[in-house]
Amino acid sequence: MSFDDGTIIRARHLAKAYKLYDNQGDWLKQQILGSTRTYYKSFWALKDINFEVRRGESVGIIGRNGCGKSTLLQIVCGMTRPTKGEIWVKGRVAPVLALGATFDLEATGRENVLIGGAVLGLKRHEIIAKFDSIADFAGIGDFMDQPIKLYSTGMRTRLAFAICAHMNAEILIVDEALAVGDMAFQQKCIDWIDNFRRTGTLLFVSHSPSELTRLCNHALWIDDGRVREAGDVAEVTRAYKRATRTEKDSMSRFSAV
Amino acid sequence: MTKLIHRQPVDAPILHVVDGKEVIPGHYNFLQRFVRFLLEPFTGAWRHRDLIAAILRRELRERFSGSVAGWVWAVVAPLISLVTYTLVFGGAVKLPNGNPANSPTDYALFVFGGLIAFNFFTEMAYRAPSLLHEYAHYLKQTMFPAQMLPVISTLRATTYATIGLALMLVCQLIFGGTLYWTVLLLPLWFIPFLAFLLGITWLLSAMGAFTRDTAYLMMTIAPVLMFATPVFWSHETLSPDMQLVMYANILTGFIEIIRDIVVFGQLPNALVVAWTVFLSSATFWLGYWFFRRQQDGITDVI
Repeated sequence: MSFDDGTIIRARHLAKAYKLYDNQGDWLKQQILGSTRTYYKSFWALKDINFEVRRGESVGIIGRNGCGKSTLLQIVCGMTRPTKGEIWVKGRVAPVLALGATFDLEATGRENVLIGGAVLGLKRHEIIAKFDSIADFAGIGDFMDQPIKLYSTGMRTRLAFAICAHMNAEILIVDEALAVGDMAFQQKCIDWIDNFRRTGTLLFVSHSPSELTRLCNHALWIDDGRVREAGDVAEVTRAYKRATRTEKDSMSRFSAV
Repeated sequence: MTKLIHRQPVDAPILHVVDGKEVIPGHYNFLQRFVRFLLEPFTGAWRHRDLIAAILRRELRERFSGSVAGWVWAVVAPLISLVTYTLVFGGAVKLPNGNPANSPTDYALFVFGGLIAFNFFTEMAYRAPSLLHEYAHYLKQTMFPAQMLPVISTLRATTYATIGLALMLVCQLIFGGTLYWTVLLLPLWFIPFLAFLLGITWLLSAMGAFTRDTAYLMMTIAPVLMFATPVFWSHETLSPDMQLVMYANILTGFIEIIRDIVVFGQLPNALVVAWTVFLSSATFWLGYWFFRRQQDGITDVI
């Protein structure tokens, strides 16, 4: 495998099938008799995805609900494995939105920083060393020692982003996370991302073309599990906007084969 | 060997999957892959040690500081169940040295070891099927090493079992008047027992992720198993043929060994030890193998 040094993410013919069982009995039959026949229907969330991201690029990902964006990000993070094709990632990945969803509501902000950092792969001493900086970035003051269940949604997002911003990741994945914070915090995050882009690689998911053009130089339009268009961010978002005007919002694409 | 344990080269990709299979850099023959698999639970636990510690610390704090009396419960609970069982079943047993247990304390000590081992087992068996559901948000949203969750919950349960064992030693000292040197073998008893529980937890938690029936199954089996396991009686009261059958239940071996080394102060039967170690290692690696095989499906269904 001799890839040139610039490539940080490479996806080739990626496809992901979810197995849908009608009932749990079918699952059991599949486990026991699986080699003779299949008892499930496959839902292909991703059908054929090819792309490459080079170190330092910022790639925006757009597409309608259910087109496979989240599945693709999950594969890049290593949370789930593709059924077919190849994924190759060379760098520490930090998924921004994800972290807020994993907060332990009963634990304090402080404890969640320790756990969240560990989940993202930081060593304990690293987290402790960065703790003040994280608290400072989140800017939630004394709430740091209160249970997360008392936080507002905005405060949670602040804390989640603060943790991710401190993990020295090479690849940052931002999944529509910024919409929750207030204007000032959004600005802070965007400034931080701007700064991060100088050294790191960004994958940015958003439904807002203006945010995409603001933060990314490339874009990937995913439609029905395939890359519909890829290239310069302005061109792809323009084509995407044009398509949303003409194509109807139909749910037929959610059906399994 | 060292090549297998060593960290991957610095320039290796963090993630490389082709057609649903992880690509491991370098080439290994069958034997090397096998050894690699055998070591995997340990290398994995070492790599994720900070994560394991962080979650374990949080779980223990939740368990013990969420209540006013904290650690007192962990001590009182086994004592109360011990007293109850002793009062109900006391005297109905013949100790293996041929004498009937004529004092309740003799019997209490006899029961205690079995009770600790069995409670440890049931705690894992009850919790394992729902374990992955409890942590679904981690598994779905982060790169959480799911195979380490059973390790965390086993370690958590170990703290209670250790409290129980310490109590047992104290009771032995008070009522038996002496501690035998064989007590020093307790850590050696603990290692295969933990391996067995981990294997069971891997197996049950992976199954439980797919179907809730696993939980119902355990709730049905465990109480029956309590009486099919020589917790309150000695299996030596059975006919020789039945004794052999009893050893199919791995808990029999563990309970016999802990009684031998703590209560009777004698070395356990070597054959029983070998059989128990064999069964627990087999459970350990089979459980791990099954969990890893199902792991990709688990994140999708949970």
